[in-house]
Amino acid sequence: MKFKIILCILALVLLAQLIRPKELSSAKAAPVNMLAGVPKEVAKVLETSCFDCHSAQTNWQWFDKLTPANFLVASHIREGRKAVDFSQWDSLAIPQRNALLYSALNAILSKEMPLSSYTALHPAAKLNQKDTGLLKNYLLNKAVSKPSAVENTANGNGQTFIKEVKKSPNGIGYIADYRNWKAISTTDRFDNGTIRIIFGNPTAVKAIHEGKTNPWPDGTMFAKTAWKQQQAKDGSVYAGQFVQVEFMIKNVQRYADTKGWGWARWKGDDLLPYGKTVKFDSECISCHRPERNNDYVFTTPLDIKDFNKK
Amino acid sequence: MKLPFTVGIFSLIILIMLGCRPNTPNRINKEASVSSISKLPENPLEMTPMAVSLQSKAKTMSTLYGNSMASQRLKKGADYASGSVLYLVTWKGKADPDWFGARIPDQVMAVERVSVDSEGQKSYTFFKGPAWHPGLNFKNEERQNIMLSMPLAASPGI
Repeated sequence: MKFKIILCILALVLLAQLIRPKELSSAKAAPVNMLAGVPKEVAKVLETSCFDCHSAQTNWQWFDKLTPANFLVASHIREGRKAVDFSQWDSLAIPQRNALLYSALNAILSKEMPLSSYTALHPAAKLNQKDTGLLKNYLLNKAVSKPSAVENTANGNGQTFIKEVKKSPNGIGYIADYRNWKAISTTDRFDNGTIRIIFGNPTAVKAIHEGKTNPWPDGTMFAKTAWKQQQAKDGSVYAGQFVQVEFMIKNVQRYADTKGWGWARWKGDDLLPYGKTVKFDSECISCHRPERNNDYVFTTPLDIKDFNKK
Repeated sequence: MKLPFTVGIFSLIILIMLGCRPNTPNRINKEASVSSISKLPENPLEMTPMAVSLQSKAKTMSTLYGNSMASQRLKKGADYASGSVLYLVTWKGKADPDWFGARIPDQVMAVERVSVDSEGQKSYTFFKGPAWHPGLNFKNEERQNIMLSMPLAASPGI
């Protein structure tokens, strides 16, 4: 009797092998060109640790091909390529290539990537300190965005005004008065040549002062504004051209599907809403994911004390 | 006999679970706060942020703040009128621990104040921050001009 059951299970497992994800039937590793402009040893690290899921060059091991594991592997590869695809390298402009490398390195440093379920079976993909050191060194020395020289500063010309700002695809409306909020931090983003002010509304400032920022209370709003870095004759760098403003709006109930935050971004001097579909904000969340233990907020804010209340 | 055993096991499991919970403190950049600087007549961080600058050689970063009169310049582009108060806070920069590729404020090096009185006279005051070092060589007249002519961080309005 026992023998029969085992035989049955074995037959089922064997039969199941006929059902396979379509990715596997057409799986021929398409070799990716060496990443142009990147030194061989740096490209090699990325190839070993990232290419299986983040390029067309996937090396399926025999155990990856077994049903049902292969469905999981296929879905990881599908998701992986959608997020970052090194096969597209040649079609990317230099700033986009650098942005890709910085986000890859940050995913590695925050231990988000490579997935531990992947490295458990593919130990060669694990990165050691020497590997991350190579990436860091390359990025700091070769992939830093230089500020543009100052054009005749349009200083003192005042604001440009536009008539109407369209809603973000997820329904969030533009919040016009964020420039009256307080600066809770500033960032020099030398990876992409921008300088940023992070504005916090009164609810945010109060929460900081009371030390209640994890989680942030409902009603908290942040506006992160980015400008291109622009260098003056004396070598100082200032905020140049306006790039974008991004908002995070806390409301646990209303935004339950998006980690308790409403996400929106408006780009350029005409404040065009970012995102093609309603679900565009999954992009925001995936980038903020390493901060999930900090309520998805990257900024460590300044405490803004009211000097009159001693 | 059985009950105390079960209770014991359960409390052990709960203890382990609590111990394994990720540590989630309230993160605040206390070092970069200005409240440790004595004699400041008002808190510049409470004012309107108007401009930002980086000095790559000195590895510092600064933010220019203005009171409501000064911040009119952001909207209308006019000169700083009587009653304007400007503050320039300069921090030592540090690598952002959460993003390789970014720098954020560390300790305050200096706070500078320029005010415009009712006759349009400007006066400059310097406040030393905890991270100040003499190598910075701030010269008064020069600093006042730098503050008054800083290119503002302009954003479109509606």
